[in-house]
Order: sequence, then C-alpha cells, then structure tokens
Amino acid sequence: MKSSADRVAQFVDDLLHRRRPRRFKASPEEAEAMGAAAGLAAARVGADLPDKAALDRIHKRLSETLNEGPALERRFSRRDWLRTAGTAAAAVVVGVTLDKVATNQQQSAGPGGPGTTPGTATLLPDGGSWRPVAALSALPVGHALPVSTAAVDAVLINDGGNISAVSGICTHLGCKLQPDDANRKLNCPCHQTAFSWSGKVLYYRLKAAPANLPLIQSRVNNGAIELYVV
Amino acid sequence: MVEVTELRVVGAPEPDPPPDTIGAIYPDWESVYQDNVVGIYQLVFRKVGNAADAEDLAEEVLMHTLKTLRLPAPVNNVRSYLVKTARTVLADHWRRHYAARDAADELERMPAELSANPDASDRAARLLALLPDNFRSILELRFLRGYSVREAAAELGVTESNARVMQFRALRKAAELEGEVLR
Repeated sequence: MKSSADRVAQFVDDLLHRRRPRRFKASPEEAEAMGAAAGLAAARVGADLPDKAALDRIHKRLSETLNEGPALERRFSRRDWLRTAGTAAAAVVVGVTLDKVATNQQQSAGPGGPGTTPGTATLLPDGGSWRPVAALSALPVGHALPVSTAAVDAVLINDGGNISAVSGICTHLGCKLQPDDANRKLNCPCHQTAFSWSGKVLYYRLKAAPANLPLIQSRVNNGAIELYVV
Repeated sequence: MVEVTELRVVGAPEPDPPPDTIGAIYPDWESVYQDNVVGIYQLVFRKVGNAADAEDLAEEVLMHTLKTLRLPAPVNNVRSYLVKTARTVLADHWRRHYAARDAADELERMPAELSANPDASDRAARLLALLPDNFRSILELRFLRGYSVREAAAELGVTESNARVMQFRALRKAAELEGEVLR
C-alpha cells in the first residue's frame, strides 16, 4: 500500500512531467502538500503562461456557446456596421484618405485570442505606399511601439514574432494611446478606454462603446518595419 | 467540462479596484475574454500546477461568468465576479478529484489575485528561502532543476524512500509557511 509520501511524489512527478495528475482521495496533509507543489510547479519560468493553442481552444468553445453557432456564420449586424462607420470616421482622425475600409468578418485567432474581431477594419489609403517607420530590432517580442509618419500615428506590435500595426489614436476623441505591454493593452489617457493589441475595445468609460481601432497594413522589409500609408 | 451549478459568493473581501478601471465598461464577451483569459489561467495554474487542468478550469470560470453576467457591465464588477467564480471552481476541483475538503475551504478564502498578478517565481523564491536547508534542497532539486526522485536522492546521499518522505515533509512545511508568512 502506498504511503502519503509516495502518493504526493506521484503527484509531483505528474506536475513535473506536465501531465494531468492522477486523481485519488487525499488526506488533509497530502492535499496541503499538493497545494504547495502546485504553487512551486507554477514558479518555473513561463510555466503559468498559457500557450496559444490552449487559448484558441478556450476561445473556440466559448464562441460556440456564447455566439450560439460557429463564429464564421455570424451575420454582419447593424452594430458591426455602425462600428465600421465609426472606423471610417476614425480614419479622418488619423489623417488617412480612404480608398476603402476593408471589414474583416473572419475570426483570425492570434496569440491571446481572436486577432481580428467583427467590426475591426483595415485602412487602405488611396495613393498609399510602403514607408519604413522603425527598425525591426527596435521592437522586441511582447512590446508595442508608437510611431508617427506625416499622416498617421500608429502603434507597432510584436506579438510572439508577428508584427502588426493599429492606429495609435483613440477612436473616441483622438487622444494618443499609451502602450501597456505587461497587460497587452493600449490605454487611452483621456477617458480610461483600453484596446487590445488587435484593436478591439477592451473596456470604456463612455456612454457608448467607441469603435475598434483601425488596423494599418504592415510588413517587414530588410530589417525595417513598413506601413502602407500616404 | 463540468458546469458549476451553484455559485456561492464566499471568501475574503475584495481589495479596492485600480483607479484606471473605475467606471469602465466591458462592451461584450470578447472584451472580457481578451482582457482576462491570461490572468484567470495564471490564477488557476498556481493552484493546480498543470496546464491540462488549468485550461479546463479557466474555461469553466469564463464560461460560467459569461453565461451569468449581462453585458455591457462594469469592468470591476466583472473581474470581481471572475475571481469569485474562480475560487468556487477551484474549491470544487479539489473536493471532487481529491476529496480535499480543508484545501477547498482554504481556496474559498483565497485573496483576489487577478489584478495584483504576483510573480509566481518571486513568491516561490521567498518561500524556499524560509525553509530549513534539507527541505529547501530537495524542493530546489525537484522543482527548479527538474531532478527525478532517484537523482535527488543520489545528490543528497539518502535512499529514494527517504527522499520521498523528505519531499512530502518539505511541501507540508512550505504550505504552512505560505499560509503564515506570505499571506
């Protein structure tokens, strides 16, 4: 028959081998030790950070239940349309002449959840061209970097090696957004609105939700990050 | 996934919310998800120590909260509800799988850690520093250096059986110190 020390050792082995631990009836003393073991297993660097696949699975299952159907079949609602209209208005704020606003209906999941959410739009300026705005080396993984061109204030984002860009101007009153890298957010200092790195409104302190941030097309070229702007 | 059928609002009082979110609103469930999924996952991971359970429980916490709350809703209300739900879901996990009533009751008194986001590595280092030498050694070899029981026993010059007993006692001492010193 196994002793308490043996059962707890098995539990620790499962944690250290990153397995789901076997279930058993634990005495209060064993449970106490197992709780401490769980805390120590979480202390290994990065151990308590979820991987992208886990987040994608959680998001998918929430989406299936809460949207009452697969996300891709969700229809473009009036609310989404109004948000896109808001994005077009926001484009004026960022000083872009629009050829068109492309609305992304598909959910392209990125690290930390959905990358592009319904109602998020990409600015496609008329007469735009690719312009370098920062060296890739200036934007480490997990950071956001505000940049300005003559026409646009943008925020560049390096999310696990994927480079993207969103407007750096709040869609409410045009205040410049401040990156909060630790929480993967862009904060508006004027009215406590926060946006995700994918441009989605996370929360707001206004009577109505502001529009999501427009995305700005970006690419990496010869070690430089370029934006498609006028 | 197991549904939480009954949500009891128990536990320690919530700390004051950070000023930047007072009065702020989550517009929809995607916002709640994006802003909190990592924090909830970390919160539950620290109490179960493995990714498979942490994923299931984080999902359970979010699912229950999002099915219960009507959105738009204030950020601080939602976060507070998430933490309360996490306590209940974790307590239920320890009761159901390990029949651990005392541990579950303790989890229901857990302070709200979602916004504080303490560094797990720092907390563990402080905890290990408080342990007697032989207890600290076995836990460092196992958890920080990834030694098996056999390797740790060889390093410490004891039998495997003794190493397992030492590990059990060291973990119990760590739990005791965590409750008394680090709270």
